[in-house]
Amino acid sequence: MPTKGSSSGAAVWAVFRKECRTEWRTRYGWNSALLFALATLISVSFAVGRLTGRSDLLSALLWIVLLFAALASLAHAFVREVEGDTMTLLRLVASPLAIASGKLLFNLLFLVLLELIAVPLYFVLMSAPAPPAGPFLGVLALGSLALAASATLVGALIAQTRGRGALFAGVSLPVLLPVLAAAVSGTRQALDGGDAMMEMRLLAAYGAAMIAAGLLLADHLWEE
Amino acid sequence: MLSRGLLFVWIAAWLVAAFTWAPLVPVLGETTRVLYFHIPAAWVTVVALGWSMVHSVLFLVRRRMEHDDHAAAAAELGLLFCVVATISGSLWAKAMWGAYWNWDPRETSIFFLLLIYFAYLALRSAVDEPQRRARLSAIYSVIAFVTVPFLIFVVPRLYFSLHPDPIINPRGKVDMDPRIRIAFFALLVGFTVVFFWLLSLRLRLARIERRRLEASAAR
Repeated sequence: MPTKGSSSGAAVWAVFRKECRTEWRTRYGWNSALLFALATLISVSFAVGRLTGRSDLLSALLWIVLLFAALASLAHAFVREVEGDTMTLLRLVASPLAIASGKLLFNLLFLVLLELIAVPLYFVLMSAPAPPAGPFLGVLALGSLALAASATLVGALIAQTRGRGALFAGVSLPVLLPVLAAAVSGTRQALDGGDAMMEMRLLAAYGAAMIAAGLLLADHLWEE
Repeated sequence: MLSRGLLFVWIAAWLVAAFTWAPLVPVLGETTRVLYFHIPAAWVTVVALGWSMVHSVLFLVRRRMEHDDHAAAAAELGLLFCVVATISGSLWAKAMWGAYWNWDPRETSIFFLLLIYFAYLALRSAVDEPQRRARLSAIYSVIAFVTVPFLIFVVPRLYFSLHPDPIINPRGKVDMDPRIRIAFFALLVGFTVVFFWLLSLRLRLARIERRRLEASAAR
């Protein structure tokens, strides 16, 4: 079914707003991701107590929480369309590129909001010393971009397979692990007072490469 | 038939030569021999991944199922050789570094490659309709391909590794004893030919299976 939906900036914005509105109606994805992040943080904090001075463990913990919260929720934007049988209608009004970009923007906003709650709580619970804001936030922002870009792209594929949710973690892991490796190493340097320039460059390059791949592949994402 | 026999004789003869005729590298000692299995297997892993990804792109462009057969068959064989490269490398690491696994950047990269292969094949198994399976797995292949340069070239260059680099070293030079070099390249060629031979078998099987499906659908 070839469709000629709009791929203008207005279409991207419309898809983005539609995503926000559907999510706001049930808040199902948001609640599960937030609960997941809180449950992980609190159980680690409860089990090991404070981790002051262990930047290796602290940085790994932060990104494992964010990674799994993302895995629990970022495919939802596409799975929702398939399960609610609304994908066909959406494709009539917007091009694949506009759909993918709108959902990427939504997933980015989703991650940022999640981090606004999870990261301060993480500092409180772990008694982590406040790092220099620039490198820490830079790694966090670029890591989230790379995470959202890769997860959105894989989520679009996974929504069209059998056993969507179960497969998402396994199939997106190879694509997300480079992000995890670079982000953990960068956060660790930021916590130790370094500038983490190399990791930020790596994350930015990876995010840009994933977005470029998404732009090239968008037309193939949905066909029948 | 004859060429297959020649291939077997070629590999057997060069393996014997690698163990008896080629000398040992001073520091590596007897572990030098892993060179003749490990590097050809790792090389075939990369060739198979490249082959699979090129055919995935060709499928997206031309939409012919033969390209999907190539992509799937190469990925299956690539996984096989990747396991061989991982296990032989791990045994060598135990002998030289004292541990089977310690997340050296090279070990990390090959672990990612294993994951990519597994995920690709898992994705294929989750889609029933052949056209859709071909399209989705081809897209995944391209996404995975984006990570490969980061894993193979960027990460091991940025982080310190203990892995010896006789082939893709920064200077781009091969500095090996001539006898080791001859045996090594002979086996590299041998492994590559084995890969393409197995690939041709797998492709014939895929063709037969599809013809049988079409025949049973027509009946």
